[in-house]
Amino acid sequence: MDPFLYLDRDTWVHRLDPRTKMFLLIGAFVLAFLFVNPLYGIGVLAIVLAFGAAAKSLVNLERIWFILLMIAVMTVILWTVFGSGETPLFWFVEREALLYAIGAALRIDIMIVAGMIFLSTTRNEEIATGLVKLGIPYRFAFAVSTALRLVPTIAATGSTIGQAQRSRGLDLESGNIIQRVRKNTPLLIPVFVSTIRSTNVFSMALESKGFGAARERTYFLRLAMGRRDAVVLLVFALVLVTAVALRLMGYGGVEGFSR
Amino acid sequence: MEYASWGEEDLRIVVPAVSIKDLAYTYRGQKEPALDGVSLDVAEGEFVVVMGHSGAGKSTLCTSLNGLIPHFFRGRMQGEVRIEGRSTREGKVGEFAKDVGLVFQDFEAQLFSTNVALEVAFGPENFQVEREEMVRRVESVLSQVRLEGFEDRQPATLSGGQKQRLAIASVLAMEPRILCLDEPTTDLDPVGKLGIFEIAEDLKNRDDVTLIVVEHETEETLDADRIVVLRDGRIAADQPAREVLREVELLEESSVMPLGIARFFREKGVGNEQLPLTPEEGIKEFEARGWRVSPERHRELVEADEGREASYGEPLIEVEGLSHRYPNGVVALEGVDLEVRRGEFLAVLGQNGSGKTTLVKHFNGLLEPTEGSVRVDGEETAKQGIQVLGQRVGYVFQNPDHQIFSDTVFDEVSFGPKVRELREDEVRERVEEALAAVGLGGRGDEDPFGLTKGERQRVAVASVLAVRPEVLILDEPTTGLDYAEQRSMMDLVRHLNEAGSTIIAVTHTMWVVAEYAHRAAVMKDCRMALSGTVREVFVRDEELRDAYLRPPHIVSMGNSLGHTVLSVEELLRVTEGG
Repeated sequence: MDPFLYLDRDTWVHRLDPRTKMFLLIGAFVLAFLFVNPLYGIGVLAIVLAFGAAAKSLVNLERIWFILLMIAVMTVILWTVFGSGETPLFWFVEREALLYAIGAALRIDIMIVAGMIFLSTTRNEEIATGLVKLGIPYRFAFAVSTALRLVPTIAATGSTIGQAQRSRGLDLESGNIIQRVRKNTPLLIPVFVSTIRSTNVFSMALESKGFGAARERTYFLRLAMGRRDAVVLLVFALVLVTAVALRLMGYGGVEGFSR
Repeated sequence: MEYASWGEEDLRIVVPAVSIKDLAYTYRGQKEPALDGVSLDVAEGEFVVVMGHSGAGKSTLCTSLNGLIPHFFRGRMQGEVRIEGRSTREGKVGEFAKDVGLVFQDFEAQLFSTNVALEVAFGPENFQVEREEMVRRVESVLSQVRLEGFEDRQPATLSGGQKQRLAIASVLAMEPRILCLDEPTTDLDPVGKLGIFEIAEDLKNRDDVTLIVVEHETEETLDADRIVVLRDGRIAADQPAREVLREVELLEESSVMPLGIARFFREKGVGNEQLPLTPEEGIKEFEARGWRVSPERHRELVEADEGREASYGEPLIEVEGLSHRYPNGVVALEGVDLEVRRGEFLAVLGQNGSGKTTLVKHFNGLLEPTEGSVRVDGEETAKQGIQVLGQRVGYVFQNPDHQIFSDTVFDEVSFGPKVRELREDEVRERVEEALAAVGLGGRGDEDPFGLTKGERQRVAVASVLAVRPEVLILDEPTTGLDYAEQRSMMDLVRHLNEAGSTIIAVTHTMWVVAEYAHRAAVMKDCRMALSGTVREVFVRDEELRDAYLRPPHIVSMGNSLGHTVLSVEELLRVTEGG
């Protein structure tokens, strides 16, 4: 399995400076949080997906569609049950609670999708270098990019270990929830052991390549904000300002919703 | 200025690249020292191979060269390591990293960048190399390790051999004057190994690079200037390569595989001075002494093979027209036919990606055919499912650490019988039987994580045996073990086979195939390229080489003499004269 989410494509989104993309990512989070009305939420999602399409990176969403769906379903159920509104819809569900629930689900999914598109279009090293250019110490920036790399690697090891244990008769499909959780011990312990071992080799390899040998270091990647970055930043800043203004004027909420 | 440059030259001769004096090291929490009084000088430009059993101190020696010992590991160090005259105690790892490049066995864990060029540039970045110079170095080292044109590839998409070559490139980019490779080929398939040996060959010919390589494969060490053999943390031998390779007894005592040719002539009573080492030298000596291969005795060997073939039981695994396509569209098998009969010992060979692991994963139901059929005991595997098949077909994965999770050996081995809901006394009986079979009887209370790799491998085998499968699949059972451990592991497998288990072993280790397996199936490019008795397969030197498989020296020598033999013992048996 491919341990990275990054898709090596040549699109204008990929060519944007990582700092621009970080700003876009934060901007997408802000947009998602501004509006809870699902109609506006769909608009925000459309913008995010448009970036994904422009970056030819929507395939990566296939890897997480199930997670997106589960989160959406759970959020919708929780908020329709625990929220309340004024207009009865059916049974004990009110129209406002349902709208809010859908809006809340969209919020979370938008953030995940935006994060996914960011990781699909930005190399780990670009994230690290971008953070350094923004004044973050290199060691911290490197730790962030290493953490991003660790998760998929662990998943790959887990898949091999799963095959080994299934061959020995481990059956994860049957039993109630508690039994199933307990059945995961044969997976978790080898995953921990392997991860700790390989992390140890990894840190030896880092030391052996002079990581942190000097206070300063040079960079192979060259980052430069170009005209494209300026245009994208300007347009997106305008969108953000307009959105904030709309929200302040009272648009994009769900009237009559209470918890 | 002439005077000054003369002075420098002079210094180089006086100061060795590496100078180790009475080095002793004990890891924290360990009682026994990993290294115990090692003294070793390596001159600039030398090519030194380090050999020895598991736990002999080889990796400890490597990590002491760039200061990981004493700075990274915790423990007690005595004595001194000097790199070009400077003691490793005096500076940080980062300061020595520029002079001493270190490449580890585990290539997966030492690569972390998103493309090849960035991986190579990481070291130079840390040493503040200017960008133009970095670009030059990336280009130059990638061509040295034959990875030109791979700059934009993700390391994860490379083959094992390419990954290890990339790991070497990423270290070479720092332009170290001393390069140390710690078991660079252990986890690689034959093609991957070959690539590393070619790089080592190039580096050896450069007199500005000092090369120190830890290697298990004795047949690959003939080109070294020197071989250092470690035993229990001490130096057992330190001499020119060819002299050490003639010390057959010393190598065996140190759990290092001696050369087959050398062992043959030693058994025939040839003294050290004239002992031939390579197949070419062997044939010359063989003919010079007027020895010959007895066709009658060779026929006896072939007849013994045939007798064994006839004694197998009914077909147990039948594969017909098997193709497999992974969900991502990659075709891994195409039109494979195979029959495994009860009591056979089959070796499945081929380089990584040739489809051998995909093939055997069909036998216990981990994978289902995309096309064609796989039957076990006459029934389709797809219908039986892994839960049912798992009792008939046991699968021992390559890395024992991918399955061990219990606090005690007993619990680990009892996992299989327990999930199959056997009675407690029966579980106990089976575990004891399985532990006895792998030579770990009475050690059920020990912590599996405290065992050696060879012993953990045995625990993994026992945990599969406890289910009493009819077929035992072993994926790379000897990888990462030293010669003595490999021998004892394979003797165990042979014993299980003689006791009635059908064995299928996926392996790269050719001498293991020659000496232990009955039949061999060679996979190449998702298809079955060759299959037959091991003797039939090993005759076909050229087709094997096409699949990047090299028969052991002793087999090559027999082939050149016109009769295929599979071991030193067989050649001794068929040789007349002397």
